[in-house]
Amino acid sequence: MTFDGKILLVDDEAHVRKFVGLIARTLGNPTLLEASNGADALEVYQREKPDVVLLDVNMPILDGIGTLRELKAIDPEAVVIMLTSLANRQTVEESLELGASNYLRKDTPRDEIARRLKETLEAIFGSEENVDRPA
Amino acid sequence: MPSTDNVAAPHLRGRKVLIVDDDRINVRILSGILEREGYAVTDVDSGERALEVYPRLQPDLVLMDVMMSGMNGFDTCRQLKSIYGNKTAPIIFITAKTESDDVVEGLRAGGVDYLSKPIRPNEAAARIRIHLANRLLSEQQKSLVEQLSRANAAKNRFLGIAAHDLRNPLASIRGLAEFLQDSMLGTLNAEQLDLVRTIQTTSHQMLDMVNELLDVAIIESGEMKIHAEPTSLTELIAKSVHLMGMEAAKKHTRLTLLPPGALPALSLDPAKMRQVIDNLLSNSIKYSPPASNIIITLVATDDRVHFAVRDQGPGIPEGERDKLFKDFGRLSVKPTGGEKSTGLGLAICRNIVEAHNGSITAENMPGGGCEFRVSLPIAS
Repeated sequence: MTFDGKILLVDDEAHVRKFVGLIARTLGNPTLLEASNGADALEVYQREKPDVVLLDVNMPILDGIGTLRELKAIDPEAVVIMLTSLANRQTVEESLELGASNYLRKDTPRDEIARRLKETLEAIFGSEENVDRPA
Repeated sequence: MPSTDNVAAPHLRGRKVLIVDDDRINVRILSGILEREGYAVTDVDSGERALEVYPRLQPDLVLMDVMMSGMNGFDTCRQLKSIYGNKTAPIIFITAKTESDDVVEGLRAGGVDYLSKPIRPNEAAARIRIHLANRLLSEQQKSLVEQLSRANAAKNRFLGIAAHDLRNPLASIRGLAEFLQDSMLGTLNAEQLDLVRTIQTTSHQMLDMVNELLDVAIIESGEMKIHAEPTSLTELIAKSVHLMGMEAAKKHTRLTLLPPGALPALSLDPAKMRQVIDNLLSNSIKYSPPASNIIITLVATDDRVHFAVRDQGPGIPEGERDKLFKDFGRLSVKPTGGEKSTGLGLAICRNIVEAHNGSITAENMPGGGCEFRVSLPIAS
């Protein structure tokens, strides 16, 4: 598959948004949107209706779990993939219970992150067709 | 008697002594001796009363008469010991008889010493002083140990936090450098490419070091968990040899795994055991001169599996053997290709292997080089 949909990257650290954004670009030609905290993410989500949200766990103002709850309340169909690191094992389980589709360890090598992201997107959107959004 | 025996030790002044004796005259004599030394004296006239006041008073030493109406001294001592265990203040018995039976029973009941009647003041003062000083020392030692273990726990917490906080940025830096290197964002000239490669390898090495620090913090805080599952050690080693072989090829070094016989599946944590294998292979490459031959063997005996890595490095210097498997035990030998070492790798290996009920050793070989051996139980 190639993924040309809209991705919202939510992380308070710019380096993570840049890194994960480049990884997403290896899967196709996605439109990338960014937010640096949960509150901004909710605003962007409602305005832009992205296909996928990549959501950090530890953030100021509104953390990943809080944001996930709000997103699911706004849109139960929202596709959310958590961005985690080594320390977030418990949060991972909680987020999966709350309806996150999967999680990506942002401290792992980029090929591994790319593979996991691709597999997750294929599982959600199907592996055959291209995910494309009408303008 | 030299008069110095009567000089109280100033650091023991104010220490609390409990006298347990139903003989008023005896109490008066003992009180006199103790007060001259500057101790805080309390007296009770029975074992029962002693048990009553003990928790409130928290004495530093107890002088206990053996023959008392009601509960005798030995029983009172046993009671105190059974309640307060090894925190009980030292108990010195006061006995009329010096027959060894009495002395033996007193020591067996948990007493530290005995004074025989009639009391000789200088001897009594000297003995009491020794036991109070011992008690003080052991208190100080305990509090020191507590302080040190608190400091060590704080160090581990700090290490853990620092390592966690460094991981993500380092992983991003490495990843971003890889994207530049791929020319996904445009082609770099040779010099730019060289710089970007340096950023990539350096951040990769830093990430490895940070991971090792994190491992140590986890191991030391006692939070390392082994997730054992049936694992083929042969496969694990073969995979590792294959991947590390590419690393070795950069130094024209060859890794050779001698064909292992049939091995049963072991109950191992594959990720952690992989870390041990990688570490031993990586060390053997690091410390052997370029174009070396590294031999890996894997054999089973009745109840154990033995895995060994033999390198062609300088071996372990005599006198540095003790440091080998300890934290930050970096030896005087240096990597031969400018590789990095935190000195933590083998300490981590030892912890992982021991958590699997195995052992790890190293031996210099007669023909040069050294061999690291890991031995794991088949049924663990």
